[in-house]
Amino acid sequence: MLIRLTGGEVVDPVNGATAKRDVWIRDGLLVDAPKGATADETHDVSGCIVMAGAIDIHSHIGGGNVNTARLLLPEHHRSHLPRPANTPLSNAGWSTFQTGTLYAQMGFTTVVEPAMAPYTALHTHLELADIPIIDKATLAILGNDDFTLSLLRDSKSKAMLDDYVAWVIGSTRALGVKVINAGAAAAFKENVRSFSLDDTVPEYGVSSRKIVKSLQASVTRLDVPHPLHVHANNLGIAGSADTAAATIAATEGVPLHLAHLQFYGYGTEGKRKFSSEAARLAEAVNANPDVTIDIGQVMFGQTVTISSDVMRQFSAIGNASPKKTVILDGDGNGGGGIVPYRYKQDYYGSLQWAVGLELFLLITDPWRVYFTTDHPNGAPFTAYPELFELLMSSNARDAKSTELNATALGLTTLASVRREYTLEEIAIMTRAAPAKLLGLKDRGHLGAGGIADIAVYRKGRDIAKMFREAALVFKNGDLVVKNGKVTHYRWGKTLRLNPPPDKAMVKRMQAYHEERYGLSLDWFTFPDSAIQRPDPFAEVVS
Amino acid sequence: MSVAWIGSQPVPLTDAVRNAAKLLASSRCPVFTLDADVHGTRSAIALAERLGGAYDHAAGDLLAKEVALFTDHGGMFTTPGEARRRSSLIVIVGEIPVAHHELLRAWADSQPDLGDRQKRSWFHIDGTETAEAGKLARKLKAISLRGEVLSLPAALGVLRAGLQGQRIAASLTNIDRFKKALTTAQFPVFVFSGTSGETAGLVMLQGLIADLNKTGRASSVFLPADDDAWGTALTSLWMTGFPPRTGFSNSLPSYDPGRWDIQRMIRDKEADLHVWMSTRGGETPPRGGKIPLISLSKTNAPTSGAKITISVGKAGIDHDGVSYSSRTGTFRAVQAAQPSQLPSVSSIIGQLAEALPGKKALPC
Repeated sequence: MLIRLTGGEVVDPVNGATAKRDVWIRDGLLVDAPKGATADETHDVSGCIVMAGAIDIHSHIGGGNVNTARLLLPEHHRSHLPRPANTPLSNAGWSTFQTGTLYAQMGFTTVVEPAMAPYTALHTHLELADIPIIDKATLAILGNDDFTLSLLRDSKSKAMLDDYVAWVIGSTRALGVKVINAGAAAAFKENVRSFSLDDTVPEYGVSSRKIVKSLQASVTRLDVPHPLHVHANNLGIAGSADTAAATIAATEGVPLHLAHLQFYGYGTEGKRKFSSEAARLAEAVNANPDVTIDIGQVMFGQTVTISSDVMRQFSAIGNASPKKTVILDGDGNGGGGIVPYRYKQDYYGSLQWAVGLELFLLITDPWRVYFTTDHPNGAPFTAYPELFELLMSSNARDAKSTELNATALGLTTLASVRREYTLEEIAIMTRAAPAKLLGLKDRGHLGAGGIADIAVYRKGRDIAKMFREAALVFKNGDLVVKNGKVTHYRWGKTLRLNPPPDKAMVKRMQAYHEERYGLSLDWFTFPDSAIQRPDPFAEVVS
Repeated sequence: MSVAWIGSQPVPLTDAVRNAAKLLASSRCPVFTLDADVHGTRSAIALAERLGGAYDHAAGDLLAKEVALFTDHGGMFTTPGEARRRSSLIVIVGEIPVAHHELLRAWADSQPDLGDRQKRSWFHIDGTETAEAGKLARKLKAISLRGEVLSLPAALGVLRAGLQGQRIAASLTNIDRFKKALTTAQFPVFVFSGTSGETAGLVMLQGLIADLNKTGRASSVFLPADDDAWGTALTSLWMTGFPPRTGFSNSLPSYDPGRWDIQRMIRDKEADLHVWMSTRGGETPPRGGKIPLISLSKTNAPTSGAKITISVGKAGIDHDGVSYSSRTGTFRAVQAAQPSQLPSVSSIIGQLAEALPGKKALPC
């Protein structure tokens, strides 16, 4: 099947300047314009922008904690519309089916679930397999488990740590590794209530800094394309900017990705001792090429915070709205907290909103800043179209600012920042850069050889509308969205690295689980066939 | 050996599927009683959506009680693995299903290797003594926390008030021993189930645990009354956003534990077709309804009263599958222990969907 998109304005920074040109698809892949060939199918996309399918590097779309949030809050996700033909459950509120549908309708074709607890990996993958259309990937959580902490406490070799990290990545079908408030979940079980970069985990005497540095180095040695994905200490508290700055300063030439930096952008100035430190953090990021970050933008309204940072979530119970929460002290890297929350347009909400935008606008290199709301923590991913508008229009920011708390905004630089993201910068931040960061050479661009993940947007003054309802979306060359509506399901893959396990480490894992949990290792691992969809995984070659 | 029957007559599987599909297609309100592994549940929910039906689990009453703790309140929890490794003080709350006794005895035979690492001590708080709970408590050498004529919620309330230092008229046996044990235990864990008592009691328990966490640490292990039912709840949540007792009106799922109580719907003649699944074998459909029944059950004989019976296998016995396990507190891939020719629930439901008008495949 040869498909031609003609008449569109192609925004593909990886392959040259924005220009009108045709895009050709043959059998699911992008190809150069074939000489003398006639397309089997032609789409006139005049008046439209053509981009690669978007990639979300940090969105909590599936797994134990997400499902527990569904259980806790059935009143928050009622279905709203009858389902269209051919897409069962696509309007079932917060179902896996709705997740894939809504992402696809916005032109997103790959989404990373960034917090998979290794022991509940099967659950995560079962959910991801029921998310239609898009490709998925996961990051396995490490840094709070007894095995890692014991290796570091006992000064075991780097090779042994690497073998363990590789075994976790392989056995959980992950694309990379994330560390969440390194050591804090283990410390919380020992009744420690606050935990910073140089605090040590009781029992192990290992500092959070050492955990991060060790895993960062291991991931780099293993040639995992995505740098260690770090959820730093002290998320959400006044003064957290110091922790983030210290984490950024600690990279020492080794790549590191700092997640949802907005939640660390707070200082202690002002009457309420809660101020913006976004400018300082943006400067630190700009000055350190080792670091990439995503934002975790706050938008207003009801959401639910879902995090494996159990210590932080426990401390937030008092802010729950409505007043019900789940706190789970999980095995090793599992567990976390579910705390529903409503972002109000008051002092605190306004400041958080502004901090995120300041970071977006003051970090100069779009290749190192990523577009996220930390779904659903800052806002549901369905808020993305409005966020695109805020980034691309200073007038839109000004208009929204008039509704917000003036005192809070007065303590930020936002009003003075007039930068507006260009379409090319949007394409970098949401396509090319995420693909590069994750090591996905086959997507994020529209060059020949790439998979035909394509989003076509109808140009218009209403930026949010443009990004909310893609005119056309192709996934692997299959037209799945027309005029903002999904036409049918297809089943994407979950992308993984699949490093071969070290045999000695497998034996060690067998002995460890039998001794410590009284269960054989197969209670914690699973074959691909457990997913019961054809070829649910796809290998990414590092 | 027959695997399909129309009434009491053995028939080829294809005939049974065709006739079952006719019944499904002509039904205005089919209801589904689920009892299968994750993949059987996925298929069944997808079929219920296709037909505008409603579903519940076979252990729906107990499951609804367990679900209500989360939907109405939440709480603090830990995993069986973490309790085994870290907790030197375990409190059994009310009655724990027999299926979990082996797990608890395994904890009793092990020593915590994290946290305070003390020899594990056991308490048992109960309202009205039951044979099973008493037997388990004796085997675990659990110290009894009981009050005269106190129900379990009341006993939990008395314990909570006592730990808060409030003056109360009632008292519990061994309360001072328990207080002493609490002073040295770094991570006490309360083990409960849907069989432990009414939701109000479980909420009181979570309040007690929240109190303990103001200054120290404590948590609870939730052992579902039925592992397969809890697995069904989790699967239903990601598929529809809701736990069971969900129904589809105009293709929209809605969750309502009263409205979509399948047994009530059958009794009140709101449903006109019952699809009853049971993969554990030896079960019979609940009595009380007089609507046509399609039985997908592990059986070697037609189900009494069923218009159609199709014999299905159980995941982990007859075929591979995925089931929830309280041993780990999550899903586990299970391999066929005694592979058989019996089809899985998901494969039969797939065939039913293809035999319906339109012949569309289900999304899972």
